[in-house]
Parts: sequence; structure tokens; C-alpha cells
Amino acid sequence: MEPIVELKNVTKVIKGRTIIDKISFQVNKGEVFGFLGPNGAGKTTTIRMIVGLMAITQGDITIGGSSIKTGFEDAVRHIGAIVENPEMYKFLTGYQNLIHYARMTTNVTKQKIAETVELVGLTDRIHDKVKTYSLGMRQRLGLAQCLLHEPQVLILDEPTNGLDPAGIREIRDYVRRLAREKDMAVIVSSHLLSEMEMMCDRIGIIQDGRLIDVQQIKEFVQASGTAFELEVTPAEKAAVILQQHYPEARPTYSRDGVTIALPKQEIPSLVKLLVDQEIHIFGIKEAGKTLEDRFLEVTGEKGAAGRG
Amino acid sequence: MVNLIKNEWMKIFRRPGTFVMIALLIVITCVIALFFKSQEDTNNGAVEANWEQTLKEENMALDRQMSQSQSKIERDLFKKQIAINGYRIEHHIPPREKYNVWSFVKDASELITLAGLFTIIVAASIVASEFNWGTIKLLLIRPINRMKILLSKYLTVLLYALFMLGILFVFSGTLGAILFGLPSDPQPYLNYYNGKVAEQNIVIHLLIYYGLNSISMVMLVTMAFMISSVFRNSSLAIGLSLFLLLTGEQITSLLALKFSWAKYILFANTDLMQYIEGTPMLEGMTMPFSILMLLLYFALFLFFSFYVFKKRDIAA
Repeated sequence: MEPIVELKNVTKVIKGRTIIDKISFQVNKGEVFGFLGPNGAGKTTTIRMIVGLMAITQGDITIGGSSIKTGFEDAVRHIGAIVENPEMYKFLTGYQNLIHYARMTTNVTKQKIAETVELVGLTDRIHDKVKTYSLGMRQRLGLAQCLLHEPQVLILDEPTNGLDPAGIREIRDYVRRLAREKDMAVIVSSHLLSEMEMMCDRIGIIQDGRLIDVQQIKEFVQASGTAFELEVTPAEKAAVILQQHYPEARPTYSRDGVTIALPKQEIPSLVKLLVDQEIHIFGIKEAGKTLEDRFLEVTGEKGAAGRG
Repeated sequence: MVNLIKNEWMKIFRRPGTFVMIALLIVITCVIALFFKSQEDTNNGAVEANWEQTLKEENMALDRQMSQSQSKIERDLFKKQIAINGYRIEHHIPPREKYNVWSFVKDASELITLAGLFTIIVAASIVASEFNWGTIKLLLIRPINRMKILLSKYLTVLLYALFMLGILFVFSGTLGAILFGLPSDPQPYLNYYNGKVAEQNIVIHLLIYYGLNSISMVMLVTMAFMISSVFRNSSLAIGLSLFLLLTGEQITSLLALKFSWAKYILFANTDLMQYIEGTPMLEGMTMPFSILMLLLYFALFLFFSFYVFKKRDIAA
């Protein structure tokens, strides 16, 4: 694993207010890194600093070994990015837009432009004015724009904002494919957790300008262990019994039954216990925690700890 | 850099507004040409047989007026006229020549203000629009220094100004040649400078005339560019620059009546013609002084544009 993007103690202060507070992380080649956080947590600000749109108050960011502060041109050469919506020149055609950006880098041939257009599936409409494009097509043109110069790092800020499910899926597939086939590092920011769960290898959670956790997505989701939902009657009685026998598993009583966090091997004895107490069991199912639960848990805990 | 300018040029010429501007410039030139053409019939410009006599009488009258005149500016004006009349008599150059292509080009050069107006619109929007469209984000994440991007935009604006002036000059020249005809015996322009009269080729004179008239245009365009870059607001840039383009000189000459510091105002210095053909707006102003002031303003405008653009956090 070779890190290509490195943030070191990056801090941003705007008008005396610390927006980003000493964020450090690395993104490796071939990896999709998710940048997760509620609105206003500082995702976009961090991304703007990575691509050099905003100045860094303290700390440094290097891309492919060059600092974005001191070696802007060398650092940004490795990057292709969409920052928020891909705003293109609406009065130009898609093709003219791409020519425009191709002229600003070296070594982008007409051939390469045609290939990229083909890749994002815009070949039919590329000579139409951008103002006639749908949001999905604009998003794809945006993607073409950042892939033209074959960057090693792809940065997508809220890439699925405003897209329909088909569009979201399309973007997701591109992103995964680019990371796998071209060994690109991809940084994606989003506040949509389900999205990130399907797209990313690793996620960093940001809240109130601080990076509170960076984990592999699988570890992250599994970290809290598994829980089981028991469909039982009378549920109240069952909850009381379980509370007595497994207080550390924190059984919770709900409308549908009881939820309890236990290792799998404990289930047979639990069933026996409930049967002995004459409780009717209709079903037991494993309830894996979603990223969403986990996210709320983490931001809740750490947020509280941070504030306390 | 050439590629960047090509990009900016494409962004200007792919918008319909640009063609409206060019069309307006051409249409208004036509209207003026037709107006002069209709005037021409009544004023055929035939040279009077005894024009030398007339000029001598005029000079005598001017002499009398000069000795009575109180104001220096008026006296300088009379002196100039007398010198030119004297030169004509001496070298046998009749004062009235048939209205021809060059007379028209000179009259049409009033439209430089219009070309300036259009260039101001382009200058005011070339930076601010990128912010309005949101395209500034994608523009500034290319491996090109921000300074170069802004410089390419500024050069494009100057190129556009040149383009508009070129259109005006060539079109009014062509139209003038068709409607008024080329003079069979082109007369030199009589230039009065530092109390001396000299002959100047009319085309060269017109080019110089264009150049000097363009100075205030370039200064205002640069100012509009600065406002556009600093405030990211094209309406403000257009409004303020146009206001100053249309009223700047009048306001300055009003101030010049009362205050001597008016000579430090930009508009007191934009008209370098005042040193060649007329008299300075204020006592004590010289050509080098004005050039220095112009360069100072120019440097200041560009410094602010580039400094703010370089430092700006792109948050929009």
C-alpha cells in the first residue's frame, strides 16, 4: 500500500473560527476513501484545501510527494476533481468544455478525449450544448472532465447529490472500477451512509472539524458485534427474564419483540431458557448493525466526549 | 499561455452577447456614415477661390481677440489657430478639402467610447462570471498557477479591445472609402505642438489619434477588470466603470476649476491629446507627469487584481 495523498495536521481558521482542527490521514493507491460527516462538519472545506482552492492555515497536504502549498502545479497535476456540482460552461457544447480543460493540461490528445467520452457514455450527446443536458449527464461530463489527464487521485465531493437511483448506481460503479482497474486513489465525500457503505474501502468520520475515526468499512460496521431480534410473546416478560440472565447484553424491549446483543453460540441456551419459562418464540433473526447505526453511535459518543 | 488565451477567446465568442456588441458597433457606424452622407450634399466642400485672403482676415480678427482675451487657455487656442492658418498660407494648403474617407474615420473615432464600453462589459464579466457560473472551481484545479490564469484573462481583454478598435477602424475606413471616396490628393494633417506646425501623414495621424484616445479606455477596462476580480461582481464593475467612462472627465474638469489636486485624478491624465493639440487641463501638468500618473494607476489596478485573486479562498 502506497500512500499518494497525505494530510498532516491540517488546520483551517476562518475569521478566528477553527473550521478544521488538525486533521491527518493518508489515502493509498487503489483505495476508495470515504469522507463521512454531517452537513457543515468540514468535508467540503477539507476537500477544497486538498485541491488548493482554499489556503491551509496550518499543516500541509502532499499529493504524489509534492506539497499543494509550495508545489501547487506539480501536486494538482495528479488530481482530477469534482467539487460539489460539476459546473460546466452551459453555452459551450460538452466537447468544447472538454477541449477547454484539455488545453489546460499537457498531453491530452483528441483520441484521449474521445475515449473518455466513450467511457462515461456521452458519445451521442457530446456535441450538444451543456444547457440541454440532464443533471446525470452533467455529472458524467464532470467525471469525463476529471479523467481526461489520467490523474492518480480522483476527488469527488458529494458525487451523488441530486441524482436518481440509477445515476447513483452508475457513479458508484465507475468509482469502484477506476480504483480497481487504474489503481487510482479515490476520495469521496458524502453524508449518505448507505452510499458510502457500498462504495468505500475505508472511511474517515469528521465532525465539528475534527477527524474522529478512520476505519476499514467492514471493521467499522462489525465493530459493535452482532445483535439478535427475538419475536416472542409475551415480550415484556421475556425482556425481564433476559435482563436477569444477560444484563451485560442490554436487551431492549420493542413493539416487535426483544433485541439483544449476544455472541451466536449463546443462542441455543437462550432459547432453552425462554422455552422453560413458557415464552412463545416465533422467530430469531440476526440483525447486523448498519453503517448508519454505527455512525450515529460513533458521532454521538465521540461528539459527547469532545464537548465534555 | 496561448492555450489559455484561446480558451478565454472561445468563452467570449461562444456567447451571443459578443455578436450583439459587434453588430451594434457596425450598425452605429453605418448610421453615422449615412448621416454624414446626407449632410455632404449641402456642404460640398468646394474650395473658395480666395481662401488665402479669407484666412488672412481671420488671422487679423483672431489677433485682435487674443489681445483682449483674459484667459490663457483661450489665448493658446487662438495662437494655435493663427499658426495653422499661417502655415496654410505659406505652403498653399487650402483649409477645406472635400469630405473624404479620412475625415469620416476621424469623425467615427468618437465611437471608440462605444468600443470601450463593450470592452468594459467583457472585462467586468471575465472573472466575475466564472464565480457566478461556479466554473471557477474547475478552472483553478488545473496544474496552472492562478497568476497565469488571471494574466491570460487580462491579455484576452486587451486583445478584445484591440479587436473592437480594429473593427471600428477597418469598417469605418471601408465604409468611408465607399461612401465618400478616397481623396485624389491626400492632404497632410497639420500638427501644432510646442508652438510649431508640422505636417503629418493622415493615416499615421489617425493611428496616433486612435492610440491616444484608447488610453482612457484601457485604464477603465483595467479598472473594471480589477473590480471584477476583487469583488467578483460584474454589475458593480460595469456600473462603476461606465459611470466613470461617461462622466469622469467632466467631473474632473469641474474639480480642476477649484482644486489643484485634481491633477492627480486619473481622468485629468487620460487625455494625452491635451498636450499635443490643446492645452493642459491644469497649470503645471506635463506629458511626462501624466504618463507617470497613468502608469501608477495602471500598476495599482493590476496589483489589486492579482493580489486578491491569488489570496482568495474559493468558497462559492
